Amino acid sequence: MVILLFSVSLFAQDGIAVSGKVTDTGNLPLVGVNVLIANTTTGTVTDFDGNYQLKVDKGDELVFSYLGFVSQSITITDQTTLNVTLVEDDQVLDQIVVVGYGSVKKSDVTGSVSSVKSEELTAFPVLDAAQALQGRAAGVVVQSNNGGEPGAPINIKIRGNTSISANSSPLIVVDGFVGGSMPQANDIESMEILKDASATAIYGSRGSNGVVLVTTKKGKSGKLSVELNSTYAVQNTANKLDLLNASEFADYQNQIRANNDVSTPYPQGTADTDWQDEIYRTGNTQNHQLSVSGGSDKMNFYVSGNYFNQDGIVVNSGFERATFLSNVDAQVSDKLKLGLNLFGSRGTKDGVTTQSDGSVTVGGDDVISLAMRFAPDKPIQDENGNFTTNDAIGDEVDNPYAVATERVDETVSDDFRANVYANYDILESLTFKTTFGLSSENETRGIYQPSTLKITAGGVGGRARVTDAKRTSVLSENYLTYNTDIGKGNLTLLGGYSYQKNTTEAFAAAGTGFLSDAFSYYALGTATNPLQPASSLSEVEIQSLFGRVNFDFDNKYLLTATVRRDGASNFAANNKYAVFPSAALGWKISNEDFLINSETISSLKLRVSYGATGNPSISPYQSLSRFASLYASRNGQTVFAITPDQPANPDLKWETSYQTNFGIDLGLIDNRINLSLDYYNIDTKDLILGNNGIPEYFGFASDEILTNLGEINNSGIEIALNSKNIVDGDFRWSTDFNLSKNKNEVVALINDADLFGNAAPSYFSHDRSYVLRVGEEVGLFWGYDYAGVFQGGDAPAGTQTLAGGVAGDPLFVDVDGNGEITEADRTIIGNPNPDFTFGFTNNFSYRNFDLSIFFQGSQGGDIFNMTNVQLNNGDANTTRDYFNNAWTPSNTNTDQPRVGNNSNREISSRFVEDGSYIRLKNLALGYNLPLGVVESLGLQNVRFSISAQNLLTFTDYSGLDPEVNYFGASGDNNTSSNTVQGFDFGNYPTVKSVNFNLNVKF
Amino acid sequence: MKNFKYFFILLLGFSMVGCSDLVEEPVGLLAPDGFFQSTADIQTAVDGAFTHAINEKFWGRKLSIALMLRSDMVDLASNETRRVEHNEMTTLASNGMISEFWPKTYQGIAAANQAIAGAELVNAADAIKNPVTAQAYFIRAFYYFHLVRQFGAVPYIDGPITDAEAAASMVRTPAAEVYANIISDLEYAKTWLPNTQPSRAIPAKSAASSYLALVYLTMGDYQKAYNEAKEVIDNAGTYDLALEPNFQNLFDASKIDASKEPIFSLDYNNVEAPDNAYDQIAPMTGIRGDDRNAGGGWSVAVPSLAVYETWPAGDYRRAVSLDDEASIGGVVVPYTNFVISGHQFAKNQPYIAKYTRFPGAFARGNARATSSNHSMMRYAEVLLIAAEAAVELGDNASATNYINQVRARARMGGDTETGAGTPVTVPPSTVPADITGTVTVADVLEERRYELAFECKRWYDIARRKIGAEVFGASGLEGAKPDFTTDDYLMPLPADEIERNTNLSQNPGY
Repeated sequence: MVILLFSVSLFAQDGIAVSGKVTDTGNLPLVGVNVLIANTTTGTVTDFDGNYQLKVDKGDELVFSYLGFVSQSITITDQTTLNVTLVEDDQVLDQIVVVGYGSVKKSDVTGSVSSVKSEELTAFPVLDAAQALQGRAAGVVVQSNNGGEPGAPINIKIRGNTSISANSSPLIVVDGFVGGSMPQANDIESMEILKDASATAIYGSRGSNGVVLVTTKKGKSGKLSVELNSTYAVQNTANKLDLLNASEFADYQNQIRANNDVSTPYPQGTADTDWQDEIYRTGNTQNHQLSVSGGSDKMNFYVSGNYFNQDGIVVNSGFERATFLSNVDAQVSDKLKLGLNLFGSRGTKDGVTTQSDGSVTVGGDDVISLAMRFAPDKPIQDENGNFTTNDAIGDEVDNPYAVATERVDETVSDDFRANVYANYDILESLTFKTTFGLSSENETRGIYQPSTLKITAGGVGGRARVTDAKRTSVLSENYLTYNTDIGKGNLTLLGGYSYQKNTTEAFAAAGTGFLSDAFSYYALGTATNPLQPASSLSEVEIQSLFGRVNFDFDNKYLLTATVRRDGASNFAANNKYAVFPSAALGWKISNEDFLINSETISSLKLRVSYGATGNPSISPYQSLSRFASLYASRNGQTVFAITPDQPANPDLKWETSYQTNFGIDLGLIDNRINLSLDYYNIDTKDLILGNNGIPEYFGFASDEILTNLGEINNSGIEIALNSKNIVDGDFRWSTDFNLSKNKNEVVALINDADLFGNAAPSYFSHDRSYVLRVGEEVGLFWGYDYAGVFQGGDAPAGTQTLAGGVAGDPLFVDVDGNGEITEADRTIIGNPNPDFTFGFTNNFSYRNFDLSIFFQGSQGGDIFNMTNVQLNNGDANTTRDYFNNAWTPSNTNTDQPRVGNNSNREISSRFVEDGSYIRLKNLALGYNLPLGVVESLGLQNVRFSISAQNLLTFTDYSGLDPEVNYFGASGDNNTSSNTVQGFDFGNYPTVKSVNFNLNVKF
Repeated sequence: MKNFKYFFILLLGFSMVGCSDLVEEPVGLLAPDGFFQSTADIQTAVDGAFTHAINEKFWGRKLSIALMLRSDMVDLASNETRRVEHNEMTTLASNGMISEFWPKTYQGIAAANQAIAGAELVNAADAIKNPVTAQAYFIRAFYYFHLVRQFGAVPYIDGPITDAEAAASMVRTPAAEVYANIISDLEYAKTWLPNTQPSRAIPAKSAASSYLALVYLTMGDYQKAYNEAKEVIDNAGTYDLALEPNFQNLFDASKIDASKEPIFSLDYNNVEAPDNAYDQIAPMTGIRGDDRNAGGGWSVAVPSLAVYETWPAGDYRRAVSLDDEASIGGVVVPYTNFVISGHQFAKNQPYIAKYTRFPGAFARGNARATSSNHSMMRYAEVLLIAAEAAVELGDNASATNYINQVRARARMGGDTETGAGTPVTVPPSTVPADITGTVTVADVLEERRYELAFECKRWYDIARRKIGAEVFGASGLEGAKPDFTTDDYLMPLPADEIERNTNLSQNPGY
């Protein structure tokens, strides 16, 4: 199109002056429409208001063309005003789809690629654009690391977990910058999700988790366009647990004590506090964005500024961010084009740790869980004004309100990215592109636990910690693209070289014992007890060669083949280089003679691909032999000491996924109905397994001693259906549906022995809560199989209580039949992997109104409700449901064991629940002011909308939210989201939100 | 052609980012290559080996509390399964405490092995470097001695792992072989360690000899046990050893470092080190709601009432070892009202006072991360080892002499305070201190029980003397423990370790 634009001569002939306005079917002016006299290079483009003016001769044919619209040709008779309405092109197949190092027509795609459009990304306000992907693309699972917590990291998974111990997140490529941070949703033109090996193998060793290509908006030629987008949202917790009040709680505690022969009565406090009410509040979010774009024939630009502010639904939690983005492109000469993308943001996360990361082992820092556990008979502050603690049951902890409001935890993140490119047409068919980019991310986190938190920091006079991390990345990519026609065929060749260096510097310092809590974490120098400081440097270099062949024969047969050779410094000495090839074939059956005239089938394409991709999976220096440093004490002095940390591992390799994909794209009735079906099979080999690999008697301090011994398989089906049900008239209706079914299987482990892991907090009774077993899915729950309540006498055949059980205690299945419940009776008790997940969107419009209803759901995955394990344990408040239904000598017909029973914090199937749900993720009603009104205001478009998220959830799950995401408190939470699935423990609940949005185009 | 100049500028631009050899050059990371250059470097590795012992996973909590709970001197006030399993002798191979101290012990051994191997590379005279390396031999023996008593046969590793495949499939080394290696390490240590060190947390010759005495005693080689103990006693002046006149000072962080009694202690300082490398025994044994120690204790390891009631009141050690009075919520209460805190696990029983009364400076609430250098071996124990060995050798005169030295100190009386800070003066006992007539093994074991109460020695005594049936019977201090069997004298190897190396056998009964 660019070439087209600049090849148009702007000199007009003498003759009639025709002018007019080009609009779309909604009467909105179209900017930048090409208006060209047929068979000439004479023409113009419409201006900002959609107006054009051109001198023509009678009899000339004017061609109006615009990307995404059906072109129109009109022959000039003698009219001087010619207004044109362009109709949107339903032939969506000819959209341009961005792929790695290039773009192709959608109809020519041979791989499995999902596109998510800008409207879907901005349907409701999100902090991270990745959140907007949830339910929008088949095969893509999006999850917040901690429910509705402001600023919580977002996890994206494409086609299941292809790893066990390495990162399973896709590679994010922003405007060609590999590993760039996600721009603001409003700044994104489109996101392409590359799923199969044919699409991702061009990213080689980083492609196996899929690739998300993000393209930001560019300016268009024409007059200045100014857009204001402003959203205000009100949020509440979607759910609270029904817990005991103070007097019920005292009753409950006394029953427990009676059951355990404790004669001390529970010392009931004077208050009756609903701790959930104390920590939750009505939150709000505001998001304001102003963008300015425009351009001339030689230059275009897009500049935007965005301000996001969220006050979380937990007191004292919040997130604030300002973002700037600027894209400038210049056609320097007819062969050379230059461009510059700039991105900058500052985010400030205000702190409440709602889910423990294990850094505070005593006193409690997990506010949500604390609010459920904490004794309701305690006031917030005692008569002396000190915050109360849970001092009569369990481990003493600080109260949740105190932890939420007193603890300071602030994270400031500054991101900056600059990417400059040059595109040079060496020949008409040969283009050289070079990009050079630099990104820098700085994150500073300060934590202060004041002495008012008696248990956490009271004894030490406050505790402060400051950490700082700086990540920089330098990227240079250079590639040639050659395109030529060969007879009926068209050949595109791509070849290039890439170099990237990522550097991470980190620093941490901490201390305890401060003169005043007022210093917060800004006076480490006055700490009476400075703690061990730390600093580190890590560098990774990746250099790569890559190439691709696209061959299209007769617009019927498509071939794509790619290869990439990556060398990486973090790869072990004996395996520095890796090669990742892929190939794909496409057959456009609908272009064959026997179908080309079909009324029903407007497009039909078969795709098949196979390829290998990698997961770098080796951290820097992880393959080197290392000592760890220790903080030692010698003769009362703190000294530095060493201990063996890990052995050298020169043969360690990346993980490789071999993926096969079969796909069908079908368009019916002028492509009003589009269906894409994909089947994939991914064998991931050389999985790096750690922890349990080498005996602990080797004595290495690191539990990350690794070997390439695992293998898993993922296979699945993805369905994406898009239907324009009603397209004519005032009322329009379209439907989008997608469904993904993924099945994974562990194929090989070290010695094929079960691999156990723990997602439970460290004070749970056992150190195993999930298992990886050959032949089974990943991350199955592991524990005792609950068999109801023991009624006294002889236990029912095949069941038994734990040692010393009495009537009312839980029965478990005696798997090995030895008459007692031992380690050998633990078994698989649940499967967190859903059978399928889906998204279902209906869009309606009537005149100026539009309505969007978006459901999203998951079917068949189990949840392990650790929250209930904790709440049934006796050391905590409990649910009214358990208290009312627990076994007593007079209430024996129940499946809930007695309070204070002998299996506290036991991991058993009693706590496994069905986690299926259907959720009304978004309901949005919009209204566009009539054009007449808008024009009288001197504006271009005004739109109001109101939307609500998570209004309704249909689920049998008894916990707060079926979208659970607890990844373990102690050490298992790094990349454990691969294997730790379906655990619920005090998650920040998903919020119910109502948004008011105003969009004005000037 | 003018456009080509742009092209060349571009080419120039991209050629500035050159090729790399992709070799990693870690900066700020410790690599073994070339680390060991001087004696100081050996010391740095030795310090690492010693530091693992103070960790929460070893003496800081997991091992010390497990040893206490397995004994008859400390009962449990908690319903956490991993603790119940030790207290009730229902330990499973998946026990969450064993799975922590097993690897921590071996990390200490690996660090010691690294120091010993590193010393080979250091070019210094034996007289200079061997006294440093000897510390590594000592601590390796210390760790294996714990392991062999806990598990019997264990994988014996005596150098940095070079053949990982072989090491990963090895079988358990027989206990006798492990003991032989422990003795050989301690002999090396005894040869090269100096007579005294700047701190009791750094082993001197006496530490090696004393541990040799205890190792031989455990093996039942009473002559050698006696010889080693006697050597320490006879050279007490040279080694700067003596009984501490006031028993309370042994458990007072501000006084212990100046005492002549400790022979080997762990070097705790009040630093909130990473990886929980600090002491948590005080909170684990402390009283709920106690006004001391910034938050009181967690009331987990609590002696049964019988421990207090059967302990003669005239024994000053009872006043030092147990708190029978405390200030809870501002109210001074006797132990019969300790449940005033209202806590679920509060007990109306005197609590262990050896760790909570004078913990010194501490870095975290509840008296966590204290600076109290807990004694692993002290002179009184050497006297009792000599006494026990003498009994076995039929030398009643020596047995009487040594046991009575310990008894005399305990009956001298002394000044201390209660858990509420009330000053207490225990008068010299009216009961004669001296045992006359024939000293029996039971007498010495009973003396060890009082003298070394709550110092994690009792379980090992029960196990080496095989007196479980008696002390865990109905008349035992904690009443009958029906789940006890003789299999419990050894703990199970961690279940996951056996999965990692299926050639490792499990102990009987697990």
